[in-house]
Amino acid sequence: MNAETIVLLTILVPVVGSFATPLASLLSRRARSVWAILVSAVTAVLPLTLIPLALQGGELVVRKSLVLGLDFVLIIDPLSIFMAGVSSFVGCLIVVYSVGYIHKEENQNEYYLMVLLFIGAMMGLVFSGNLIFLYLFWEIIAISCWRLIGFYREPAHVRKADKAFLVTFFGAVVMLLGFIQIYGVTNTFDITAMRGTLVPGTAVLLILFGLFSKSATIPLHTWLPDAGVAPTTVTALLHAAVLVKIGVYAFARLFLYTFRLPEGWQQAIPIIVVVSSLVAAGAAAVENDIKRILAYSTISQIGYIFLGFSVANAAGISGSLLFILMHGLAKAGLFLCAGIVIHAVHTKDIREMGGLVKTMPVTAIAFLVCSFSVIGIPPFGGFFSKFLVIMGTVQAGRPWLAAAALFTAVLTMYYLFRVFSLVFLGELKHPAPEKTKSMVFVVAVLAVLSLAAGLFVAYPMKLVNIATTEMSWWLR
Amino acid sequence: MTPKMLLLPILLPAVLAVVLLVIPRTLRLVRDALALAGAAALLYYGFVFFSLKDLRFNVPWLGMGIDFDLRLYHFSSFILLALAGFLILIILYSTVKMKDAPRAREFFAYVFLTAAFANGAVLANNFVPLVFFWEGLLVTLYGLITIGGRPTSGRTAVKALLISGFCDFSMILGIGLLWTVSGTLTMSQVSVEPTGLAAIAFVLMMIGAAGKAGAMPFHTWIPDAAVDAPVTFMAFLPAAFEKLLGIYLLARISLDFFKLRPGSGLSVLLMVLGAVTIVLAVLMALVQKDLKRLLSYHAVSQVGYMILGIGTAVPFGIAGGLFHMINHAMYKCGLFLSAGSVEHRTGTTELKKLGGLRKEMPLTAFGFTVCALAISGVWPLNGFVSKEMVFHGALESGYTVFAIAAWVGAIFTFASFLKAGHSVFFGERTREIPAVKESQPAIVVPILVLAALCILFGVYNKLPLTLFIQPILAGHAEAGAHLDFTSHALDIFNPVALISIGCLVLAFLLHRHGFLKSGRKPYLASEPVHNLPVVHKLYDLAEARVFDPYEQGIKVLHGLSLVLYKAVDRPIDFVFEKVVTVAGEKFTAILRKAHNGHYANYLAWCLAGLIIVAGAISLLAK
Repeated sequence: MNAETIVLLTILVPVVGSFATPLASLLSRRARSVWAILVSAVTAVLPLTLIPLALQGGELVVRKSLVLGLDFVLIIDPLSIFMAGVSSFVGCLIVVYSVGYIHKEENQNEYYLMVLLFIGAMMGLVFSGNLIFLYLFWEIIAISCWRLIGFYREPAHVRKADKAFLVTFFGAVVMLLGFIQIYGVTNTFDITAMRGTLVPGTAVLLILFGLFSKSATIPLHTWLPDAGVAPTTVTALLHAAVLVKIGVYAFARLFLYTFRLPEGWQQAIPIIVVVSSLVAAGAAAVENDIKRILAYSTISQIGYIFLGFSVANAAGISGSLLFILMHGLAKAGLFLCAGIVIHAVHTKDIREMGGLVKTMPVTAIAFLVCSFSVIGIPPFGGFFSKFLVIMGTVQAGRPWLAAAALFTAVLTMYYLFRVFSLVFLGELKHPAPEKTKSMVFVVAVLAVLSLAAGLFVAYPMKLVNIATTEMSWWLR
Repeated sequence: MTPKMLLLPILLPAVLAVVLLVIPRTLRLVRDALALAGAAALLYYGFVFFSLKDLRFNVPWLGMGIDFDLRLYHFSSFILLALAGFLILIILYSTVKMKDAPRAREFFAYVFLTAAFANGAVLANNFVPLVFFWEGLLVTLYGLITIGGRPTSGRTAVKALLISGFCDFSMILGIGLLWTVSGTLTMSQVSVEPTGLAAIAFVLMMIGAAGKAGAMPFHTWIPDAAVDAPVTFMAFLPAAFEKLLGIYLLARISLDFFKLRPGSGLSVLLMVLGAVTIVLAVLMALVQKDLKRLLSYHAVSQVGYMILGIGTAVPFGIAGGLFHMINHAMYKCGLFLSAGSVEHRTGTTELKKLGGLRKEMPLTAFGFTVCALAISGVWPLNGFVSKEMVFHGALESGYTVFAIAAWVGAIFTFASFLKAGHSVFFGERTREIPAVKESQPAIVVPILVLAALCILFGVYNKLPLTLFIQPILAGHAEAGAHLDFTSHALDIFNPVALISIGCLVLAFLLHRHGFLKSGRKPYLASEPVHNLPVVHKLYDLAEARVFDPYEQGIKVLHGLSLVLYKAVDRPIDFVFEKVVTVAGEKFTAILRKAHNGHYANYLAWCLAGLIIVAGAISLLAK
């Protein structure tokens, strides 16, 4: 198979596979689970086969002509391969975990359909090199996200789902206006054709609305903690694998790979994202709902990813790319650990938990490992990404922002260990064992991967470095 | 010997840690044997590396000038050897002391993991591997403290983690600035003048090093850990490993990375930090009622001498600071191990309950006494020599006030150890503790080895000074300076030493006065100082943790979080939840009124729309 076929399959397998899920359920519940895992596993493996290609560097652009200049363009470069690999891999692990987590719920057909469609749309978004297709996949993601957040069908939950949908949809529509303005300048929607142009400041503002709403950055962030009403698997998917990462990915694709940012925005964006990071960390230190804490933590970490990209030097960009991987692994681990805990003790309030390390040792250790990784403590993977982002920020001549980011890291340590101490240490309040083996297995895998990604960081770093040099044409 | 061998001090303990973690509890003998063999191998390679002195291992790692670069040279090989020496003593001691601890497996694993990280940090010749190993110690620090298993252990572990994490993060920022200034991350190539941005980098990195060593104000977790963590941990990390690492890095910072000049502002800053640490911590140590807590405050106070010595930036002072580092690691480790031995047999370390143990535990008592005299700076033990060097250095730097502070520290150090030794081993035997016997050989041997080394390094101080300390300074002192220290008097017949001895006499009188005044109860000997009018209030506030920067810092963190949440996050959410939805409802209500079902109305809408569209097209067509 050549790269083009592989990429088309990466997009089509989950999209087509998702609609076939209800058919599989006609056979049996088991067949549906197997089918879902199979589809997501294939989606996870396909981008991995492209890694040798990515390591050679260079990019491959595939163009299929359609009407009205809306060419279907695929960009196969180290950046898209890296992103697709991370998302589909974490997504696959979450699907495996789902089998244990939602086996008693209703509407499982809808669940698996939406999850697979979610992953498929993500793959489409990652590889598409046309602004309009980018937008299309962007909105498919919004729709499946909306269904999944309101999965439990309770009126309050549906309201939160509506909120998430409306905020991100509003952002996306504003972003579309930005795309149209760019079309006015470049006369094309093809990203590859507009590389190196200076975009107008207003278009940047409009597009940032879309990116910040999807990647939950202040002031468009409050839907993300509210989306915690979804099943924990969905929150993990939103936070670690797909949803919030598309904003940062699009930022890298548009404002690093494609355009040059106006000077004012180069100065302003790092400040906005550091503030966002700090405020979210503060909120996480106050909240008592474990999922809301983790959600604010995501907002805070997303700030780092934006920071690295927006300072736009080699250390910052490679740090941020690595951050996508490390945060994906660790945050998925944290949410899935929280899922096991919530499943067992039937509450989300950390003040009502305690002493669970005695009955759930594996979950406790996995949570601890993933916490260390999110805080940025070696030998876990999160250290390298955060360290490089900080180094990049200092090198860009913004030591004050780096200091604020490091202060946020101290705050991260404070609130994550507050959670760990309250949930796992102290006196045992709800003696509940770790039940489902597949769920415990997945969190253990994520914890081991967080460690392995730190010990063998040189391997992902190779790909990240190539992706960085490929996209940062202005540094060459 | 290939350069790859440099990976051994890192990989061997790391692999051993994993093995020790999975060996089942029932195979205790296998575990102990493996741990001892591993530590012995590390010590053997410590000697091999020390005789080699020059080896470099460098492979590309992350790109951008970030290599996995290890370098063995005189300084790092000395620290490597010292770390291995302490490791084997601690392991030997732990085979008995941690035998029945519920999480003994984890303890051994964390100890070896700590050794792996520490060795890596010492060998690193690139700032990124340095930070990698250095910060990795946070993980084992957290794990080791929680092993204490007391209800407050978790809290103390988080406290240690947050304080050390803060220091490490500030070091990262310093390294970032230094990278920007110097343009390279290779440690052996960095040497800048500490001015402007580089001065800030110096201070930030100094916080990292001093924080690891446990200097004020980053010390407050250590006295808490003394109660909440296993005593073996105290002898291992805060007494030995962290001092060696912290002072190693501080010396590298002020000798190599930055050119610290005598009399410069940064030099004075370091000396102030050192002097304040000496005096305040020793005053806290003086009034402690628990042996482990008392020792932990001394572990802080003594760092002050090392920082003061290095801060003088004169060769003699730096050598004194470094010599004090190794001396302190030996006697403080010995002291904590003795306290552990007492705890092992009597089950307590409260001074009030103990007394007269010298007859039942003569070897422990001997080891404790030697180490206590060494830390107090009694001639001819090692503490006397290194403290003299620091006094000389401080006087040479021209700031007599710092020498005075160091002497004040010496008075109270001796006074508090007279109190401690008197309460535990001498004086009358208390009735609260049933008859005990001497601890097992595995506990006593490490204590005696350390005591013997204290004597050796004191009596033959030329040996460690020429073998370990002087080569570190080679190439750093200005041309023509004497590095053999023959011009300096290190015996008792010189004015500086006479003042020091005067301090000891004063301390003895202080103790005697307190002892007699409190009705011959040695554990109350410090009460006259404790009860001085204003001092008493200050002590009460200190006991209430008012001066604990951590407690205050947590309040600030929590307050700031509340402000960010209530003043930024919630108002934004309010806009989405209330303002936008209400506005939307109002707007749709108006539209709803327009939809009244009359055809004429809809027709009018359509016409209006058509006219607008036509107008727009005609405008655009122009």
